[in-house]
Amino acid sequence: MFNSVEDVKRALADCQYIATNEIATVLYLAEKLGKPLLAEGPAGVGKTELSKAWAAATSRELVRLQCYEGLDESKALYEWEYAKQMLYTQLLRDKLSSLLADATSLTDAADRLGAEEDVFFSERFLLPRPLLRAIQSEKTTVLLIDEIDRADAEFEAFLLEVLSDFQVSIPELGTIVAKHRPVVFLTSNNTRELSEALKRRCLYLYIGYPSAEEELEIVRLRVPDLAPQLARQAVEMVQTLRQLDLKKNPSVSETLDWARALVTLNARTLDNETLENTLTVLLKYEADVERARRALRRQGGNGHGRSYN
Amino acid sequence: MEDRITKFIAALRAEGVRVSVAESQDAWEAITYLGVRDREAFRMSLRATLIKDADAMPTFEDLFPQYFGLATPPLMNPQSGLSEEEQQMLQEMMQQMLEDMLEQLKGDLQKLLDWLLNGQSPSQEDLEQMADQAGLNQPNARSPQRAQQYARRMQQMLGWEQMQELLEMLWEKLAEQGMDPDSIEQIKEQVAQNMDRLEDQLSEFAGEKLRDNRVEDAQRRKPMNDLMERSFGSLSQPEMEQLRDEVRRLAARLRTRAALRQKRGKQGKLDAKTTLRANLRYSGVPFEIHFKQRRLKPKLVAVLDVSTSMRPVAEFFLRLLYELQDQVQKTRSFAFIDHLEDVTDDLLTHRIDDAVIAVLTRLPSGHYNTDLGGSLRQLEAKHLDAVDSRTTVIVLGDGRNNFNDPALETFNRIGRRARKLIWLNPEYPAQWGTGDSDMLSYAPLCSELYQVRNLAQLTDAIDRILV
Repeated sequence: MFNSVEDVKRALADCQYIATNEIATVLYLAEKLGKPLLAEGPAGVGKTELSKAWAAATSRELVRLQCYEGLDESKALYEWEYAKQMLYTQLLRDKLSSLLADATSLTDAADRLGAEEDVFFSERFLLPRPLLRAIQSEKTTVLLIDEIDRADAEFEAFLLEVLSDFQVSIPELGTIVAKHRPVVFLTSNNTRELSEALKRRCLYLYIGYPSAEEELEIVRLRVPDLAPQLARQAVEMVQTLRQLDLKKNPSVSETLDWARALVTLNARTLDNETLENTLTVLLKYEADVERARRALRRQGGNGHGRSYN
Repeated sequence: MEDRITKFIAALRAEGVRVSVAESQDAWEAITYLGVRDREAFRMSLRATLIKDADAMPTFEDLFPQYFGLATPPLMNPQSGLSEEEQQMLQEMMQQMLEDMLEQLKGDLQKLLDWLLNGQSPSQEDLEQMADQAGLNQPNARSPQRAQQYARRMQQMLGWEQMQELLEMLWEKLAEQGMDPDSIEQIKEQVAQNMDRLEDQLSEFAGEKLRDNRVEDAQRRKPMNDLMERSFGSLSQPEMEQLRDEVRRLAARLRTRAALRQKRGKQGKLDAKTTLRANLRYSGVPFEIHFKQRRLKPKLVAVLDVSTSMRPVAEFFLRLLYELQDQVQKTRSFAFIDHLEDVTDDLLTHRIDDAVIAVLTRLPSGHYNTDLGGSLRQLEAKHLDAVDSRTTVIVLGDGRNNFNDPALETFNRIGRRARKLIWLNPEYPAQWGTGDSDMLSYAPLCSELYQVRNLAQLTDAIDRILV
């Protein structure tokens, strides 16, 4: 459905996602090669956003699996719905007693009950979790496995099997093979090194901080209410802050938050007062805020910062 | 092109980037979709399929233009614009000149003249031969930065300078013979361009040759295992770099292992209260079993000797501490030479490289001023609150106390207070107790004691401590 990298770029732009050539190219390849796409990079540069935009652009359902430490198969793949099974057992009690009424011995009764077991271990009582949902879906879905680096290595290994074959075996039911292979996005913030095996199965995309122009374009698109002059100043400020060797650099999503805050505050210019009041939207550590203040004051001292007044 | 890509992948591997066969297959497949014409798209398809690590990106960006840089254009035929008559004149003049100077002709001047005036590029064979003579096949020819130098050497061998004189003579003679000045000007210009192009071709060839040598060289290099066994003190700079990577990998493993332990910790005792509550909706039939989550929150106190004798290994221990502190939330790190310094914050607020530098500059090395006993006393006096029954205390040092009071009583008190007292010593056990070493006095008071003088032993010790 997409015949060129340009098509991909345009489709993403229609969904309000500004993709660099690089992003569009790798996405195009992932689609063509049918391989999972592993996106790495600092938090808040739009990795998750990319998968959402892609799902929207291709009008596919987005199935999301958020990873965390301790995530296991029953949370990611499927679970039996005990409560529903219980309820059905209760409701069907009469049916069951009539079924077992003329059983001559205990063994006979157990056999008859055993013959009906399939009713209780059928897809009816299966609670599909994200992975199984993506596999079972009647249409191709976009499967987002978010922050895979947070899950433990065990889960990662389990995922390998699913990702390479797109099938799962459920002991009571047998193997379920995907009708339509989902398009898989994995994201990682690099808190833990991922296994070579996982990386080998994926195409790799590193999304770094955008350049000033790219970021400005994103701000204009997402926060159109912000005055152009102010948007430019804000982006410049964020880009400067990223040079400061902070504990946590302001991300694109924070730039957007800040831009929205400026709109809400009805800010006309980026003066010192506005800056003081809103700096915490951008920076999340007290030490960072202090450091940024000091750096800005230094700039103000040599006349550079006056332009904000 | 195929050959080029294969060579490129080999070069990536030689620089330490892990590229599997499956990945190189992906690269080929990607190329079938995006082709090789569009340079950017081509670069992206190689990068997305071959590179899976942000750290390896610079290597890729560095090598890519070297392998897929714009190939130098071939030589032109300067005679194409000449009339038949003029061409003949030129050929004759060349012939005559060559005959005149036969005895003076040195090296491959004749070949060079052919290339420049007939527009044929040197064949692969010619290039190989020149490269061999210029010393490009010698074992020390590896550094791609020296391509220019080798190219110049090849030019010299061809008789480049002499050729310039010859050409001047040729132009004069042609003018004497009455060739159209415009035509002469044209040939002159094109020959000059040919010389430029030939120069580029030579340096490109030299560069390629040097890179190939480098790749072969790297394939012969010793594997990492050897490095694991070598002692920290005896490593060269690039080996140190490699070892740092290993320490990073070790830390990653620690992290996974810690996560696994926490998971296993969950499968502990049955939690009756939670189980009952969770199963109320199934009328008390215990379908969902809950277990008591053992909330293990270990604490760690590390005491690191950074004195002169420990300096070579101190950096690695510091890196390890840094990662441990990342791992175990409640970690206090101390470093000492003659007195104790709390370096927890240094490790917390800096990035890893800066942190190491920060600590080492805070505690400059001196001569024979180690005071382990005194430092232990300071630990007890000032920071005893950091040690309790959940705390593992790790001492990283050689136990050389410069004949100061070892403060064994203090050490013992700290050990009894802590959950475990572990000592990592970089010296051979045979050296313990010799000279100013108090190791043998400390040893019986430790819960565990390991010799750690290389990465293999370090990995081993950490494994045993954590399990």
